[in-house]
Amino acid sequence: MTGVAELAERHLPDPGWPVAKPFWDACRAGELRIPRCERCGRWVWYPAPVCPDCGGERHRWTATGGRAQLFTWVTVHRGFLPGYRVPYVTALVVLDEDPRVRLATFLRDVPPRGLRAGMPVEVIFEPVSEHLTLPAFRCVG
Amino acid sequence: MGLARRIAIVGVGETRYERRAARDLAALRCEASRAALADAGLDATAFDGLIVPGAGYAELHELARDLGMRGQFHAASCFHSGTAVVAAPLEAALAIEGGLAHTVLCCQGVAWGSERRGNVGQPHAEMRMKAAFEIPFGWYPQVVHFAGMARRHMELYGTTEAQLGAVAVACRRHAALHDNAILAGEPLALDDYLASPYLAEPFRSADCCLVNDGAGAFVMTSLERARELRADPVVVLGVGCGVVPDGEYSSLREDYLATAAVHSAPRAFAMAGIEPADVDFVALYDNFTALVIQQLEDMGFCARGEGGPFVEGGRIELGGALPVNPSGGQLAQAFVFSVNHVVEAVRQLRGDAGARQVADAEVGVVTGYTGAQHATLVLGCG
Repeated sequence: MTGVAELAERHLPDPGWPVAKPFWDACRAGELRIPRCERCGRWVWYPAPVCPDCGGERHRWTATGGRAQLFTWVTVHRGFLPGYRVPYVTALVVLDEDPRVRLATFLRDVPPRGLRAGMPVEVIFEPVSEHLTLPAFRCVG
Repeated sequence: MGLARRIAIVGVGETRYERRAARDLAALRCEASRAALADAGLDATAFDGLIVPGAGYAELHELARDLGMRGQFHAASCFHSGTAVVAAPLEAALAIEGGLAHTVLCCQGVAWGSERRGNVGQPHAEMRMKAAFEIPFGWYPQVVHFAGMARRHMELYGTTEAQLGAVAVACRRHAALHDNAILAGEPLALDDYLASPYLAEPFRSADCCLVNDGAGAFVMTSLERARELRADPVVVLGVGCGVVPDGEYSSLREDYLATAAVHSAPRAFAMAGIEPADVDFVALYDNFTALVIQQLEDMGFCARGEGGPFVEGGRIELGGALPVNPSGGQLAQAFVFSVNHVVEAVRQLRGDAGARQVADAEVGVVTGYTGAQHATLVLGCG
């Protein structure tokens, strides 16, 4: 469990946490995978034991195309988190596969003309260590 | 109908609100509780129901002990933090009607100024999905969550930074009229607001609530007993709670901008038999400026997307059509999970608000918010 003490350094996820391990394994392999209900096909995000639509309990981590739209964003000017150089742009993006899948992410390649909700973005992978790669999204087009 | 007009608030109390108090949270809660009971003309042990949102097991019993309580009391538990404070009259009405208690004390205090040293995000850091999928990407702490909503509101509806600023300016002007408001001596004009640096764009520091120490409390009893205690009890006309069904993580709510006020406000207004147009002032949970705009929409004071223009031109200031947060609220008085809003509403309806008095105030509305939870309280003159 992450508490105040741990936040003295950059907060990184535990790639070995069983609930999320397939996500981080896929990122290291250059894929963005999201759990999908085997019974009804609903994308189940965040990972949960039960599908919110059909109650199915078997979910397969399924590859996505990694394309999304910008939903909202915040340019952070104050260093709320240690280990992050400000300013940075953190955002929520909605996956093309299902807009109910929103991912919090860093936004890269912000165009000089600025950002607009609905702009297309695509995933890129940023290795942090041998064990951990974080997905980010960059503005395209 | 139901629990409308069955109970009243007969006493209110507050500590001084300070950036950092010299006393701990237990002492602050005790002082506010004693003040509320004294304001009701009651002995410090004259309650038999206790609601202390956020208090753990030991803190609950320490408060009862510190107040001198030696008898039995009913401990009501309900929602969390701000929602719990504003929902307390519902819990109290149920307990009183059910014969579990005759007088219920609700106390809320915080010592984040002393205890958290600015690290107010701790509860969020402890949520495992946020720890895995949000914080590593900078989506943290609360100011980022709510700035994200503000940005979305701006993108969808054209809401402007000056409109966010109008909320901050109104609260600061009201705080200047209060002798127990942390920012009373720090005036803010809209130009000052717009010239100040961003924290988490579009939010500046004036968009964010205070981080402080302090406590407030209020005492509830049956309307019949209330009338015996004082000439001007403040009547609970209606109270409603609501939850966002998919609301545990704000990042994933299907209706990203809707608070559970869309459920709590209609319930409270129906119980009270009122419409938004009947309300003389509101005290809305104001952790950030944009949430005030969102609630004004969700509660039906204006339509979705019209909250920005609604707060302009002094409409929400004292003397305007709908004064909002006359105490200065949590943006400018103190952040205590809306208990200051309840106390202020009682004072307004008693006609005791001095320079902040809303003319002819007969119906006031208070809200509490906790992520997926929301409570709306309608109070009226006795």
